[in-house]
Amino acid sequence: MPFLILFLHVVAAIAALALASRSRAVAVFVAAVAPAGAAVWGLVALLDPTTTRSSSFVWVEGLQLGFDFELSPIAALLTLAIGAIGTLIVIYAHGYFAHPEPTLGRFLATLTIFGASMLGLVWADSVWTLFLFWEATSVTSFLLVGHKNANANARIAARRALMITGAGGLVLLAGMMVLIDATGTHRLSEMAPTTGTTATIAAVLLLVAAATKSALVPAHVWLPGAMAAPTPVSAYLHSATMVKAGVILVAVVSPVLGGTDTFRVLSMTLGALTMFWGAIGALRQRDAKLILAWGTVSQLGFLVLLFGIGTAKATFAGVAVLAAHAVFKAGLFMVVGEVDVRTGTRDIDELGGLARSMPITATIAALCGLSMAGVPPLLGFPAKEAAVEAALGLAGTERLIIGGAIIAGSVLTVAYTTHFVLGVFGPSRNGTATTVSPGRAALMVPAAILACISILGWIFDGTTSKPITRAAAALNAKADVYQLINWPGATQAFFVSVAIVIVGAILGAARSRAQLRVPATIGANAADTALDQTLVLARRITARMQHGSLPVYVLTMAFVVAAVSIIFVQPALEAVGDMTVADSPGQLALALATVLAAWGCTQVDSRIGAALALGVVGLAVTGLFVVHGAPDLVLTQLLVETVIVVGFVIGLGRLRRSFPETGARWRQVRAAVAGLCAAGVAAALIAAEGAASSATAPPTERLVAEAVDEGGGNNIVNVILTDVRALDTFGEIVVLAVAALGVVALGRPALVTPKTPISPPTREEVRA
Amino acid sequence: MSLALVIAIAGLVGFGVHLITARSLSRVVLGFALLGHGAVLALLGSGGPAGEPPLADRAPVGELANPLPQALALTAIVISFGLTLFLLALARRQHELTGDDLVEDDLEDRAISALAEAEALRGHHDD
Amino acid sequence: MISVHSPIVAVGVRAVTPLAVIVAAYLFFAGHNQPGGGFAAGLVLGAVLSLRTVAGLYEPVNGSKLMAAGIMVAAAIALIPAAIGGGMLDMVVWSGELPLLGKVKTGTAAIFDLGVVLIVVGLVDSVLDGLGTDDIAIEPVTGEAR
Repeated sequence: MPFLILFLHVVAAIAALALASRSRAVAVFVAAVAPAGAAVWGLVALLDPTTTRSSSFVWVEGLQLGFDFELSPIAALLTLAIGAIGTLIVIYAHGYFAHPEPTLGRFLATLTIFGASMLGLVWADSVWTLFLFWEATSVTSFLLVGHKNANANARIAARRALMITGAGGLVLLAGMMVLIDATGTHRLSEMAPTTGTTATIAAVLLLVAAATKSALVPAHVWLPGAMAAPTPVSAYLHSATMVKAGVILVAVVSPVLGGTDTFRVLSMTLGALTMFWGAIGALRQRDAKLILAWGTVSQLGFLVLLFGIGTAKATFAGVAVLAAHAVFKAGLFMVVGEVDVRTGTRDIDELGGLARSMPITATIAALCGLSMAGVPPLLGFPAKEAAVEAALGLAGTERLIIGGAIIAGSVLTVAYTTHFVLGVFGPSRNGTATTVSPGRAALMVPAAILACISILGWIFDGTTSKPITRAAAALNAKADVYQLINWPGATQAFFVSVAIVIVGAILGAARSRAQLRVPATIGANAADTALDQTLVLARRITARMQHGSLPVYVLTMAFVVAAVSIIFVQPALEAVGDMTVADSPGQLALALATVLAAWGCTQVDSRIGAALALGVVGLAVTGLFVVHGAPDLVLTQLLVETVIVVGFVIGLGRLRRSFPETGARWRQVRAAVAGLCAAGVAAALIAAEGAASSATAPPTERLVAEAVDEGGGNNIVNVILTDVRALDTFGEIVVLAVAALGVVALGRPALVTPKTPISPPTREEVRA
Repeated sequence: MSLALVIAIAGLVGFGVHLITARSLSRVVLGFALLGHGAVLALLGSGGPAGEPPLADRAPVGELANPLPQALALTAIVISFGLTLFLLALARRQHELTGDDLVEDDLEDRAISALAEAEALRGHHDD
Repeated sequence: MISVHSPIVAVGVRAVTPLAVIVAAYLFFAGHNQPGGGFAAGLVLGAVLSLRTVAGLYEPVNGSKLMAAGIMVAAAIALIPAAIGGGMLDMVVWSGELPLLGKVKTGTAAIFDLGVVLIVVGLVDSVLDGLGTDDIAIEPVTGEAR
């Protein structure tokens, strides 16, 4: 089933791309079908939790490479969220983009593939599968953020997002490898809780990876910039999908690594800091979309904090907030997009009177906002309530610090929610009403549906609880006793909530009046500067290395080879004592002759002399073949040598007799590097011989038997060439043919030198 | 592998490297030929000690030299044969075009280098 | 083309040619049981071509067609077994009694080797053609191109 759904997404993406220019409605419908299918599957899995749904596709058996999917309850919940919100986003995009929009096909295709990557990520049970889809979301989100590719800001923002999340992907890979080392398995579902040094290293690496993806401080700088994307993208990426990937990672590894102090302390610290910094960032903004972006940063911090605590109650609260946030944040982004489309601005200083001119939208915004603030009768309230209870349920100092952080963060959340709703829908600064163009159903309905879900989720708290409890229990078995309660009565947490809302609302109202403008790009400049400096460094290296002299390139490579072979010196010195000097006296003599003739090759000044010296080298090597017992090599080498000498004579016959002079200094450098290379090769060969001496005997017997019985020949070497390794031989003769074609082509002047003079293009041609 | 073979291989590689870093293309051809010989000997030597020719009916199986590296070495000889001929054609071509067979500096590389340096000095890139 | 216009050389090369062809044929057929094989046979034929070229008895041509034929023969041997349901490059061995020659053992490997011979001869021919062409005339490039 997972493969079928992913395949459906790919097909839908291709179809949407192809159809968008012909029939917009069909393309939108096709693109909406795939996520809808995923949502249905997630829902079915949630309703019937007894069946385990896992499937694997093994690619390389021994290396555990392949796809491993498992639909745990938490994955099913996320599948429902990703699929359902994805479907609504596609419909919303239909209303959002102008008619006609040439890039719509590309947009729908990328969005669909992104959705598929996200689904693969939440289903992944093998760490390799998780990594693959994690990277896929990075790449596709880059394309989505940079969708308006004619806009420089969008391109810079997309590149920044890719750099940060891409770097995080590498850290994730490292962390996953350490995690496998610590737990002994690559299946996430089979990992047992672990502690110790490796677990601590894995924890740090995985949290860094999560921080880049989920925009935790200080890696949050890419998220506000990503608002350059079309609003449907923001609504999808920053509610249910992309940024949740890091949170999901923390949630999934929390049961495994939660035992290490590092994981708990680091995740809670990161979470709390991000929650504060994001909320403060949101209060500073005057662009409605940026308020939501910074608010998302804050909410992500809140989620990581909850999953970092690790108690059953906190995990339950985390899952509840995760679900509620997906619903209300998508709705709020949709509202901002609609305001943007219908008024042409998102600046809350310019917007005024929208509560009257866009009443339905204002209602939706108010409902989603109240859910974000944690006010009944909306889903956000019981979720926030659970979080406060989880914090109050801690003991000692933790209760004080974590409880304080969550309460303070919640106050700020209420404040920026108030700031947002009042800013967009309240009166404008100068009292004028903004002109509003007519509404579109496709813009309003998806947001309205999400607002309704928020209300219904609160009313039918029992029904909503079930999947959330199940999902939380999948992460922490003790969490199965908790429930969402829509009206708790006079509990301690309830009074705390009331206080939070009152203080926050006053704060937010005050903020909304104050005039304060802050640049939105704090921190982002630092990231861009770091990237630019890296590129400058790369250019410096290029300028230094790529100077154009082939001999220097070759010499550099040879030097590196020689330098690397230093590692063989020690084992070579150990092994050299056990080596035989020579298999026979003849071998020693021929070896010395070979070296002598090779030396002659470098010393002879005339070309023909050098060619003859090469012939002598060939003869000496042939002699070595003779004493080694390789008659086929002898025969072939002699014939090859003949043809090469003929080639030298006819090919270089007309060149100057002697080689040109070269500088003495350069010759010394070459000689030094060549000597180092020779020593390095000798060391490597001796070390290899020492290492191989304990290995098994050569498979001569088996090769002989195979050659005689199956190849039907007594010359084993030739049977190997024409039968056992026939494919290699085939490749070899193709190489020969290509080399010969090259020789022919180089011998022909017409192929290189143009016979007819080329005149510069005329003015008319340039214009055309 | 005996020390004699190691000496032969190391000598071939050393002199080969010396030749392929020369400016004259015909020297480069010689260098590649020497490196090819070194590689073939290394293949042959890595398969075990010398022995009787690997013809099934000539000697008892235990006395035969390992045939597998010989087959590999045969392929290596053929490939280096092709490479040598191709390089010869290149050297000759260079002579036809420039009157000598020297390796010239790659002007494109020079240009890339200069461009990279200029951009590095400018300190940022256009976007 | 570099050639030596000497009647003695020409006669010598003429005399050697049939011998060399016989040697090549021997190497080709012996290859399965004795040192030799398609590559060696092809090189012997190639050496004959070089000698005849130097003696002025042969004008080298572009050997692309020979090489193409060789590659096609080898590819056919590679692909036909796969097409009729076996593995790629599966070889078949035939053995039987023939008059005069006695017991003969051969197989599709010999046909594969024939492809190798064709390619090697084509290669040497091409090399003689490519390296030996004398009349490379580079026309001066006029105009302000480049």
